[in-house]
Amino acid sequence: MSTARFKVKALSWSPYIEPVDVATASEEQLAAMQVTPSNTKVSAYVRTLAHDPESYVARTKLFNAIMYAKGGLDRAERELGALVASAVNRCVYCASVHARRYVELSGREDVVEEIYVRGLEGPFDARTQAIVDFCKALSETPSQATKEQVQALRDHGMSKAEIVDLIHAAAIFGWANRLMHTLGHSVPVEAK
Amino acid sequence: MMGMSDLDQIDILSGLKPGSELYAIRRERPEFVEGTELCRETVLTPNHGFGLSHALRAALASRMARFIGREDLAAVYDLMLDDAGSDPDLASIASCAEIAAATDAFTSAIIRHADLVTRTPRNSSRADIERLEKAGLSNPQIIALSELIAFVNYEARVLVGLSLLEEVE
Repeated sequence: MSTARFKVKALSWSPYIEPVDVATASEEQLAAMQVTPSNTKVSAYVRTLAHDPESYVARTKLFNAIMYAKGGLDRAERELGALVASAVNRCVYCASVHARRYVELSGREDVVEEIYVRGLEGPFDARTQAIVDFCKALSETPSQATKEQVQALRDHGMSKAEIVDLIHAAAIFGWANRLMHTLGHSVPVEAK
Repeated sequence: MMGMSDLDQIDILSGLKPGSELYAIRRERPEFVEGTELCRETVLTPNHGFGLSHALRAALASRMARFIGREDLAAVYDLMLDDAGSDPDLASIASCAEIAAATDAFTSAIIRHADLVTRTPRNSSRADIERLEKAGLSNPQIIALSELIAFVNYEARVLVGLSLLEEVE
């Protein structure tokens, strides 16, 4: 390991389409964006997706449950699932957000450095390798994921309930990456 | 409301039986189970469809499921397409056929985008969104289409993961 700690830069996100303008938004869009007189600052990401408030509200609720629900899989490992999916889908913005969250929760700069510098092949420690291998296959082409990969998760002490959480974390990033990486692009924070 | 032993689409396509261990584990996360079904409604049969019909949405979902390799999931969306009112053009979209030469610019841009974002999301760029705009899609239509594409890709991965998990001890 290098002596300097590996750091992933924080990024901002800029949409390719014009986001909803809070000043002219419909009641349904305002409710979806949770705009109130004391909260009128809404991110470009939320305003972009608020063009379809129905799907925005339902997906946000599901996303929060998958990433933050109590119990089950350790939150750090859900973030690792999110990071692997984002690396496969080359969603630079999502990868930077979730790489940083993963490090905050796990302290594993070494894993993030490996992924950023050399990619998803590893080698990683055995449990991390099992998570990366399964989430990578599921994200690339679902039919490439194997029973052996799931068995490897079990062999490294993951319960079935925890694996259900990991499946959902990787899958919801198959969703989130297909929004963030197709509807806009990452930009340096300074240029916001 | 669903009864205790009712199977939803995810259970059925993942091969989960009522009373099985994994069926019970799924129910420990009701916010995942119910949340997924609620999301399905908002992308397949929304109240405000922005001019993208339920039939077109079902046809696209079927097409994407086939590209992902889940014929069983595609068959479910074929039934939804029949219920919504199919026609030869929509059936052709669902079948994964090449985009027919006679297809209007609006529809062919939508199909192209669904294919691209399902198969190679990493290659997406600004030009792909501009292509949708040039074909006449409004901003709400672009977002609604993107959410539909992303949902089917999410659902297919949940199914595959749960199916594999059901096979291990």
